[in-house]
Amino acid sequence: MKKQNSNESTVKRFSKAFIISHWVNAFAFFALYITALPLYTDFFNWLYPVFGGPEMARLLHRIFAVLFIVPLFLLIIFDFAGFKNWAKNILKWEKKDFQFLMAFPKEFFLGKSKVPKQDFFNAGEKLNSLLTIMCTLMLIGSGFVMWFPGAFASGVVQWAYPIHNIGFGLALAVVVGHIFLSIGHPNSKASMRGMTKGDVPISYAKEHHGVWYDEMVKKGEIKEEKDKSKGA
Amino acid sequence: MTNHWNDIQFSDCMLVIGGNPAENHPISMKYVTKAKKNGGKLITVDPRFTRTAAVSDIYAPMRSGTDIAFIGGLINYVLENKLYHDEYVRKYTNASFIISEDYDFEDGIFTGYDEDSRSYEKSTWVFERDEEGNIVKDESLSHPRTVYQMMKKHFSRYDVETVCSVTGTPKEDYLKVAETFCGTGAKEKTGTIMYAMGTTQHTVGSQNIRAYGMLQLLLGNVGRAGGGVNALRGECNVQGSTDFGLLFHLMPGYIGAPTQSERHQSLDAYNENETPAAGFWSNKPKFLASYLKAQYGKNATKANDFGYDFFPKGRRNYSHISLFESMYDGEIKGMLIWGQNPMVGGANVRKVRAALQKLDWLVAMDLWETETAAFWKEKAGSNPAEVQTEVFMLPAAGPFEKEGSVTNSGRWMQYRWKAIDPKNDSRSDSWFAHNLAIRLQKLYANDNSEIAKPFKAMDWSFGDSDYPDMDLVNREINGYDLNTGRTVNHFADLKDDGTTSSGNWIYAGFYPDAAPGEEKNYAKRRDDKDTGMENYLNWSYAWPANRRILYNRASADLNGKPWSSDKEGIWYDKAAETWTGYDVPDFGVATSPSDPGWENPFIMLPDGKGGLFAAGMAEGPFPEHYEPYESPVPNAFSSVQLNPAVKIWGGDMNQKGEAADFPIVATTYRLTEHWQSGSMTRNLEWPSEIMPHMFVELSEELAKEKGIKEKDKVVISSARGEIEAFAMVTKRFKPYSVRGQKVHHVGMPWHYGYEGIATGSIANYLTPHIGDANTMIPEYKAFLCDVRRA
Amino acid sequence: MAYAKLVDVTICTGCRGCMVACKNWNDLPVDTRDYQGSYQSHDKPNGKTWNVLQMKEYENQSGGFEWLFRHQACMHCEEAACVKVCPEVAITTTDMGNVVIDQEKCVGCTYCVQNCPFGIVELAEYVNADGEKAERAQKCDMCNDRIHEGLEPACAVTCPLDAIVFGTKEEMLELAKERLEEAKLTYPDAQIYDPPGVDGTNMIYLLAHPPEVYDLPPNPKVPTSAVVWKDYAQPLGKALLGVTTMAVFTGFITNKLFNKEGHGHDTEEGGEINEETKQ
Repeated sequence: MKKQNSNESTVKRFSKAFIISHWVNAFAFFALYITALPLYTDFFNWLYPVFGGPEMARLLHRIFAVLFIVPLFLLIIFDFAGFKNWAKNILKWEKKDFQFLMAFPKEFFLGKSKVPKQDFFNAGEKLNSLLTIMCTLMLIGSGFVMWFPGAFASGVVQWAYPIHNIGFGLALAVVVGHIFLSIGHPNSKASMRGMTKGDVPISYAKEHHGVWYDEMVKKGEIKEEKDKSKGA
Repeated sequence: MTNHWNDIQFSDCMLVIGGNPAENHPISMKYVTKAKKNGGKLITVDPRFTRTAAVSDIYAPMRSGTDIAFIGGLINYVLENKLYHDEYVRKYTNASFIISEDYDFEDGIFTGYDEDSRSYEKSTWVFERDEEGNIVKDESLSHPRTVYQMMKKHFSRYDVETVCSVTGTPKEDYLKVAETFCGTGAKEKTGTIMYAMGTTQHTVGSQNIRAYGMLQLLLGNVGRAGGGVNALRGECNVQGSTDFGLLFHLMPGYIGAPTQSERHQSLDAYNENETPAAGFWSNKPKFLASYLKAQYGKNATKANDFGYDFFPKGRRNYSHISLFESMYDGEIKGMLIWGQNPMVGGANVRKVRAALQKLDWLVAMDLWETETAAFWKEKAGSNPAEVQTEVFMLPAAGPFEKEGSVTNSGRWMQYRWKAIDPKNDSRSDSWFAHNLAIRLQKLYANDNSEIAKPFKAMDWSFGDSDYPDMDLVNREINGYDLNTGRTVNHFADLKDDGTTSSGNWIYAGFYPDAAPGEEKNYAKRRDDKDTGMENYLNWSYAWPANRRILYNRASADLNGKPWSSDKEGIWYDKAAETWTGYDVPDFGVATSPSDPGWENPFIMLPDGKGGLFAAGMAEGPFPEHYEPYESPVPNAFSSVQLNPAVKIWGGDMNQKGEAADFPIVATTYRLTEHWQSGSMTRNLEWPSEIMPHMFVELSEELAKEKGIKEKDKVVISSARGEIEAFAMVTKRFKPYSVRGQKVHHVGMPWHYGYEGIATGSIANYLTPHIGDANTMIPEYKAFLCDVRRA
Repeated sequence: MAYAKLVDVTICTGCRGCMVACKNWNDLPVDTRDYQGSYQSHDKPNGKTWNVLQMKEYENQSGGFEWLFRHQACMHCEEAACVKVCPEVAITTTDMGNVVIDQEKCVGCTYCVQNCPFGIVELAEYVNADGEKAERAQKCDMCNDRIHEGLEPACAVTCPLDAIVFGTKEEMLELAKERLEEAKLTYPDAQIYDPPGVDGTNMIYLLAHPPEVYDLPPNPKVPTSAVVWKDYAQPLGKALLGVTTMAVFTGFITNKLFNKEGHGHDTEEGGEINEETKQ
């Protein structure tokens, strides 16, 4: 594992709002996960007393559900540009993105792969975002129905349960992968800095988000750096 | 009931009129259902589509208060179409008797009417007699003055068209009822009439039942399995209460209570004037003497007329309405109210309240504080500061906290054991009676005034305990042979010489032949083996003489054989020369075909024949339709609008409503979920929960006319007051077409009041103080009102 | 052996003794409603009122008027949706075929409430062994305590007309068939309601009219959503979670083994791919 050079020059990647939003969202996700866990499988029934009973667990789940949605609005209000960039970026799918995904398993397991230059968000991140959005929509939509069953037809309420369930299963899988890639996988650990300090080493940007790097160079926001790691 | 509950299952047709067994006698439907399973038809005739109507084969709506028109039409239908049970009518009824030439009927009035006293002088309501005093008969029934012909003439006016225009019944429904029920005139068939307060609570209540009785006699349905005229009693022991003299004009066992009239001046005078020459009532002096012996014990001697003079002699009519009228007039100072709640259950409640306010004292005994006990409160509409009445409340024990018997509609005297001790300070009714008697005796012990004499003479030997010894009470009811000390076996054992006692002659025999200390209480028998025709002769005891079906001689034909093989009651065993069967014969068991009484099944009547023509009623020997006190239409049958023999109460608060102001017919009724004035059920959570609110039922048509929507609060007003209730707009109510005019009707439960859990307006604020001419039972079931949105 | 309650609506008189008997035996609380506009006390069974008598005014095809009475309570489905969706295994089918809820296990999630094809289950206050109050799923358990002691359910005992009868499912079906023959004389559309969609119920009806007339679902089933959820989504979800976790774990190991430097992937400069990307 390569130590990040501390005085290495960095480039700003995420705004404060983006970061806060991410973490609030992440926190809410885990809070939601844990407050629902005993209901998902009775293996975790011992968690009920921890929350102060099933009623409290359900109440917390609802509170966190609100918290889970809040970041989106935070982002829209405080970093609309970042939100726009993110939204635009993740919806842009090109050949390089698919190539990235094709090469991903090798990268994932072996850490070595040849992939084309990536956007601000690489295809993995795009996929993560899209999956997250999809799961979130499933979860929020079905969760809302489950919260207010009286307002919906019983068929709708009944379908909300499997949808919530599928959304959760999917989201958890995505999240596990996402976490691993951000803190567990040696190659993308630098990205964690992006989500904490908001900037990333320029070398990391060049390596992982080549298209973005090129754009920034073109715009003159950063100096093209010599690729120190090339051939390593 | 002439029959009993279990017996209903043998019926080919059950006509429910003026009753609602599914709602008010739910258990009875068990037997109705059995009958239906066997092919019996259930007919409901009622102003409302009730829960009984819901399970009926035929439902015919009938405007409240038109039973006589309805049944009169059926009688006419039977006679016109010769559907009657010919042999039965000829031989077992007085159809062949020739009616006196002096008797007549014209325009709603029978002979002998006195308009001033609103009563009849009945001397013309008699039969022609020959020189020997025998009734003249024409068994061919062709003589124009036979009961048969006179009846036919009387009811010929009750043709289907006229009847339906009065009752408002659709003609096709009426004809369906007529065909089906009158079909039971066939020899092998029987039909029963089940009725209750919907029949009796009218100004013509008694004549309504008379009409049922006549129809049943014509169809040969009396005395037979699956037949009869059956009063569905509304309380578990209301039969028992009337048996035991809880009616103002009767002593126990239906012996008329003595009055201050000349006719009752002494025991001899009473016996002479009140004892018929023939029939079973010819034994009345024996029953009365035995009763007086039970009442006064050793103080009743032949020399003092068995204490007849101690017995209070009625000065006037003491019926419910009369009592409250008197109370209102200030003539009654105090009242013990015992298992009654007239602030809810009495007619014309505004007057009831005003009457109660005039009392010096009121003692209310009940399980809860009833509306009557709380009449002085603000929520009763009283001003507590102005009410001077001193009110005492005594907590009474519930049914399962006391021991004793109850007698059901089928006259079965069934013992009930105590399940738990009374709670807190509550006491059983018998405790109250026992201690009241003892304390009154003590109070008058040293008093030598006239008023003290009955108290001192009273024999109250029910043990030394705080509670009366129920076994001693039971023995006294049955009666003793005072020489041997053993209980009597039968009312036939009772004597008029003071050697027997019996608290209630009709019950003599339920505790037979028991030496002192020996227990033999048949009310406690619980042998559930069917002894034939579901009579269960070894289960409890049915008065009289453990007889299950009254007049059961009529179940057999002229040869003493059952009319039909599946409806066997009793029959004559030629070999043994005795009457035998599945029931205790209501007949001399040794009566042989050669005996003159062989064809006289109705042994309680002097001539032994079913009375198609009967002089006992106040308003005529044949039932005649009169409109209710408050009616929306003029009487179609005569120019006499109201029963000419009813007493019309004047004075304050007895307003009469006119159709112009109150065009809607109203009736009141009970629901399954509540009981009587609700003092028990409205204080219990579960029954209250399923019928929590006072409502008024009305048709969609009326609701539309009045702009009333479902669940609206509405005001129902009558000439006597107005109340609020929720509107129940229902298809079960439909306006009537009466004499070409659309007549709306509404119905209300009368259960609600201001005490308890489920509260609501008291329906009886609307009902009038007017009663039947014979019984004075108030006309709760038909009056006029108006309805508007609140 | 499966036991069943036969409810013969063709002879029911709507006395509602069954409702009071149920409250009495099960010691259920009072649940008085505002004025409902008819004799019917509650719109349907709920957690506090386990059986409710439906009273319906009905005009039949031939223009006749009927007042229909139907004892409504838990149907005790053979294949019960509530049992299927309960996440706490609090709802079970006993050896006698009745479906019971263990309120001590119930957490009040309302999954059963939402998935009951008959709309019977509801939450109501429950006081647990520690005296704590909570909203828990409650419904008719066919008097589980009584029937396991050889007694009939309280409603069946009370019914004066034998409109509610209890016995083995086999006997009840026999009886229902017998009565159906009689009922058909009065009600040509009379039928037995023992819906196959839930594999039959252990409360069966003898209806005078088609089920729709009584607001009964003509063909009730365990909701497809519940099948998707419980038979597919949840096992798949759990599998997916396992697969992902395994993948992460494997990834972690393999990276330890083969990617010691931990640098990123190679980015091709120029080349075909890049050319195309730039377009």
